Amino acid sequence: MTFFNSETTWFLDVYILLILGYAILIMSSYLILAYLSTKALRSYLKKNSFVDYEVLLTSEFAPKLSLIAPAYNEGFTIEENVKSLLSLNYNNYQVIVVNDGSKDNSMEILINTYNLVLTELKYDSKIETKKVRGIYISQNAAFKKLIVVDKENGGKADALNVGLNIAQNPYVVCIDVDCILDKDSLLKLAKPFLESHGKRIIATGGVVRIANQCVIRNGRLVEVHIPDVMLPRIQVLEYLRAFLLGRMAWGRLDGLLLISGAFGAFDKEIALLSGGYDTKTVGEDMELVVRMRRYMVENKLPYSVSYIPDPLCWTEAPEDFKIFKKQRSRWMRGTIETLTIHKKMFLNPKYKLLGIVSIPYWTFFEFLAPAIEFIGLLITLIFIFFGFINWHFFLLLVLFVYTFAVFFSVIALFSEEYTYHKYPKQADFFKLLLAAFIEPLYFHPLTVYAALVGYKEKVMGTKGWGEMTRKGFTKKE
Amino acid sequence: MNIWELYKNSNWVEPFLMGSICLFVGISAVLYLLIIESRNRKIKQEKLRNDYEQIIVELMYSVVFMDTPFSSVKEDPNYVMFFKNAYFREVLNESVINLHKNYDGVYALKLEQFYKESELINSSFKKLKNHKWEVKCKGITELAEMNITDASDKIISLSKSKNKVLKITAINAAIRLEGINGIIHLTEHPYPIDDWTQLNIINAFKKHDIGDTQGVEYLLESKNTTVVALGLKLIKELKLTQKLHHVEQLTERAPNILIQYEAQSVLKALTVNLISE
Repeated sequence: MTFFNSETTWFLDVYILLILGYAILIMSSYLILAYLSTKALRSYLKKNSFVDYEVLLTSEFAPKLSLIAPAYNEGFTIEENVKSLLSLNYNNYQVIVVNDGSKDNSMEILINTYNLVLTELKYDSKIETKKVRGIYISQNAAFKKLIVVDKENGGKADALNVGLNIAQNPYVVCIDVDCILDKDSLLKLAKPFLESHGKRIIATGGVVRIANQCVIRNGRLVEVHIPDVMLPRIQVLEYLRAFLLGRMAWGRLDGLLLISGAFGAFDKEIALLSGGYDTKTVGEDMELVVRMRRYMVENKLPYSVSYIPDPLCWTEAPEDFKIFKKQRSRWMRGTIETLTIHKKMFLNPKYKLLGIVSIPYWTFFEFLAPAIEFIGLLITLIFIFFGFINWHFFLLLVLFVYTFAVFFSVIALFSEEYTYHKYPKQADFFKLLLAAFIEPLYFHPLTVYAALVGYKEKVMGTKGWGEMTRKGFTKKE
Repeated sequence: MNIWELYKNSNWVEPFLMGSICLFVGISAVLYLLIIESRNRKIKQEKLRNDYEQIIVELMYSVVFMDTPFSSVKEDPNYVMFFKNAYFREVLNESVINLHKNYDGVYALKLEQFYKESELINSSFKKLKNHKWEVKCKGITELAEMNITDASDKIISLSKSKNKVLKITAINAAIRLEGINGIIHLTEHPYPIDDWTQLNIINAFKKHDIGDTQGVEYLLESKNTTVVALGLKLIKELKLTQKLHHVEQLTERAPNILIQYEAQSVLKALTVNLISE
């Protein structure tokens, strides 16, 4: 068998070798990460079964946390969301809601619901931010943990920086106000800060899962369901793959570059010393983690970033392709911006695993992968047009990639089954299995397309997030 | 033949791709079957557990509330078969431990008696010898819950383990069984004790309501500064105003500024407590 017909040139042979080599490399890296993740997950769960989180609940020595929740036009759900933040299982914490110049009635709702009054609290602008209009606290003792900041619109990163400036506690937890948090999420997120072995824990992150069609009651997730709509359903699978089989391994290797903006805790002092969130990028969550890590390495300070594999935060996934495209193109822009800002770290041994493995991995397999796939597709079309293609080989190659994608999703389902078992219903399991077969044909091309849009937006100089409308959780009772 | 030639003749490509595809499909099928098997096993186990729990509820009722001695339970044909079943004994052990958590006084003593006579205690002791740390932890928590002081020495020796989870579990158990004597060996502890472990130790004192804290001041004399910090935290959390002069002494000879600062803060807090008393 030869790759091509007699017209085949040396160039084409090299091209095929590169494509096959790239596919094998990316698949091997996925499998290695999956292996490391599974091992780490088993070890974590074993240890966790003996952990008594009540210890943190009852102790005055538990880390003091400041929750920062930026809100922009969240009037529809803000009352319930803030209530759920105020009722988390933790004692030493305050909640800072930053109203980022909402155009709706968010501020009015907050003032009325929580009986807020303006305070004389002085705003110390350690990080430059847009103008703060006022800082509010509640007159009701039941809401003494709550601080609401009203500011001019400056974007999510700017709002988080305001929170960092105001936070009174040594650790900040940055969250999306519309996320549903597990009631023990703060206990689990805080624990690693107490476990440092001569290394400073600068950040901890947890697993985010998809909550579409789950039952939410009083701001708490009470029943897990798999969405009927295919786009969010495949995202459930995608998140399982990413969090259970990917990030856990990076966490274990201490090479984690991204703590999800939806839910992560940071050492406030290091976050401030690193300069806080970068308002010029849309990937501010990843950029901050990389910058904090860089700060620690450059100042020769021993540190670590911790990762909790428990599903601590549930979020709404886009159900509509337009919104999905916006989200994914923004993720791609964020990746490009972070990698560009920190290009100095690329293959730089000074940054150890981070420079040698993590940054190159993100460059080749996250940033460049959609471009490589797209170029591959174009060249294949050209081959077909000129009749170069050997169909037998081509179909084998397609089947090779397809079966791997399904195989990897099945590993994720297997891992979920033997660990958290959050989808106990047979029907839900089969829905996910079906999604595994459809994902490479339907979802993956969409993600590649959205990433290409991200490239284009970056080249065109598009800034900002764009409007991200959410449907709100369907309360399926 | 060099590598390029080998590559160029392309004979490897088809078998490689075919082999990989078969491998992916084969492993996926195996994983799928394992998932199905796991789900079925969980359902069966759940059902069996429910059945056993019903039997155990009756058994426990007669032991705790009707004073039925174990010797007659042992000979009861309704139970004889079950006692030989390893899974039944495991569920029984868990039930006895959980019941013990909810009872005090005479009922708790009856449960302890049953635990010993039914030889469930032996399986807990056996767990201490298991090479897996998680099994050891289980054995430790069982023995501590049932107040088996004979296990103290073994548990204290396990609290010196380098495995942090095992260490914390064993220290908690040692505190429950021996009070302050369960941690006094920490004065000689060569490694730092992190904040999480310290919080667990403090919590164990509060949870088990250890009244006699005679000897806690020895922790302040340790060369290990994390042990000294633990001692200070214990004195503060348990409001041990009677240890005030030991803390005073520490402020004068503190090994470092951090400890000195902590000692002063504890001193301040205790003085306030003393005044308010």
